[in-house]
Amino acid sequence: MYAAAVQDLIDELGRLPGIGPKSAQRIAFHLLRLPSHDALRLAEAIRVVKERVSWCRRCFNIAEGPPAGEAGAAGDAGRPPAIECDICRDERRDPTVVCVVEEPRDVVAVEKTREFHGRYHVLQGAISPIDGIGPDNLRIRELLARLEVEGVKEVILCTNPNIEGDATALYLASLLKPLPLKVTRIASGLPVGGDLEYADELTLGRALEGRRELVD
Amino acid sequence: MHLERLWLTDFRSYRHAEFAPAPQGITVVTGANGEGKTNLLEAIGYLATLRSLRGNPSESLIRTGDGAERAVVRMEGRREARRIVVEAEISATGRSRAQVNGQALRRVRDLLGALQVTVFTPEDLALVKGGPQGRRQYLDDLLVALHPRHDATIAEVERVLKQRTALLKSAGWQAAAGRGLAPDVESTLEVWDAKLAAAGDALARARAGLAEALGLRAADAYRRVASGVAHRGRDVVSLHYETSWQGSLAEALRAARGEDLRRGVSTVGPHRDDLRLQIGSTPARTHASQGEQRSLALALRLAGHHLVAERIGSEPVLLLDDIFSELDASRAEALLACLPSGQAIITTAGHLPVEAVVAAWARIEDGKLLA
Repeated sequence: MYAAAVQDLIDELGRLPGIGPKSAQRIAFHLLRLPSHDALRLAEAIRVVKERVSWCRRCFNIAEGPPAGEAGAAGDAGRPPAIECDICRDERRDPTVVCVVEEPRDVVAVEKTREFHGRYHVLQGAISPIDGIGPDNLRIRELLARLEVEGVKEVILCTNPNIEGDATALYLASLLKPLPLKVTRIASGLPVGGDLEYADELTLGRALEGRRELVD
Repeated sequence: MHLERLWLTDFRSYRHAEFAPAPQGITVVTGANGEGKTNLLEAIGYLATLRSLRGNPSESLIRTGDGAERAVVRMEGRREARRIVVEAEISATGRSRAQVNGQALRRVRDLLGALQVTVFTPEDLALVKGGPQGRRQYLDDLLVALHPRHDATIAEVERVLKQRTALLKSAGWQAAAGRGLAPDVESTLEVWDAKLAAAGDALARARAGLAEALGLRAADAYRRVASGVAHRGRDVVSLHYETSWQGSLAEALRAARGEDLRRGVSTVGPHRDDLRLQIGSTPARTHASQGEQRSLALALRLAGHHLVAERIGSEPVLLLDDIFSELDASRAEALLACLPSGQAIITTAGHLPVEAVVAAWARIEDGKLLA
């Protein structure tokens, strides 16, 4: 139908999450119409991100290193340098508390609260046999390896409050149980500033389950 | 509760249609086969359950041709003294949306409970004659009508089962390839079992409680539907919810693990349960005549209707899809006699008992609804 190069572009775009064939086509034609330097800026941004950004070797969050040309020029050519993320490098963070999340975007969400001053561990997914994801496909071994070395005293299981996230938290809890550390799960419940009246029963039920004493 | 007016846009066979049934009593919709009578009931049913009453996927409710991308169903009606306006939009590509009384809902499923219907279709015979799936669906639909929150429990059980089955399959496949059981399969299975035990137990309890509440009402309805036709000793029916396990589900899952791994399926759980139906002292599925089975299916629907009406304090709208073509004269008459007093919408290609008192008529011709 289209020239091969155009079809290739549409196919590539169509592989992106959330982009169907129609959208892929629209974006492709938008790119075709753009002046060269505008379109190539996107290509350049993708290239730079693939060169400079990789996973933090400690917590598997996103980490940005120096351009590949400067660091690690010798030896591991082509592979991104083993780097640490800003949070793992930050000496002021409490190394004894680790917050376990599914995705790098969850780190951003927790960071926005400014309530958490420990470190993170990004599993890069959740257990979901339907998608062929078992514990082996997550960064669980890497988490276990960190705990003793870094002297971790508390692990906060901060996976999503859905079926897969809960299952992952349960799995980790049973795995961590024999270890001499505290394992907690974030509470789930009502949004702040909301009305009880509008809460769905499931959320309200969970909130009741996780109630706590106000007066001691 | 009753419908005052219904609007359809690009729903099934209708580009646009407007329908105003009588607020009380029977409204009959006539038309030749294939004109779209059932589509009309399906639209009303969709607003009540967010499912097609024929079990079709939601996208198939959108009219085909002209590239219509969304179907809209909107109704105005009353629930006791309150006015209700419910609108649902089914989208082929984007998100589906819903509104109740002008308020956009955060999730489409939040509209469950705004409108209730009781549906009678010729396929109801399968409730008695068919496999346990239909009977579980019957109970689950009623659970959601009574407490919309059960919708979440049912969805959780389904999701957990899917995950557990996927794990069993992949583990079995690994074992068959001679790689043995991966060490983490066992511990991951623990997790899914714990979740299935909790959600499955909650669902089974809710269903068992419901079956008990339905029991007397079904027995009563059966006596009335089958009055005059039932033989001595054959006018007593009973319902009993039967779980696929004994004792605690958690233990049953553990005990079944070896078998489950071998077969790659979950052999115990609420998805294997059944609602046992008896007429007299024998199972209705295997030891009843077709006529008895038909009467029992009607009785089950009537029992559900009465229970919902009682519990929520408002009578569901009755939808009868070409039901009289399948019933003999005496059962048809009995059904008419015990039809509850509220609004009933009946489709038919011609069959209608002479005793029926009709409050309003509508006709479908060339795919168009003529009031």
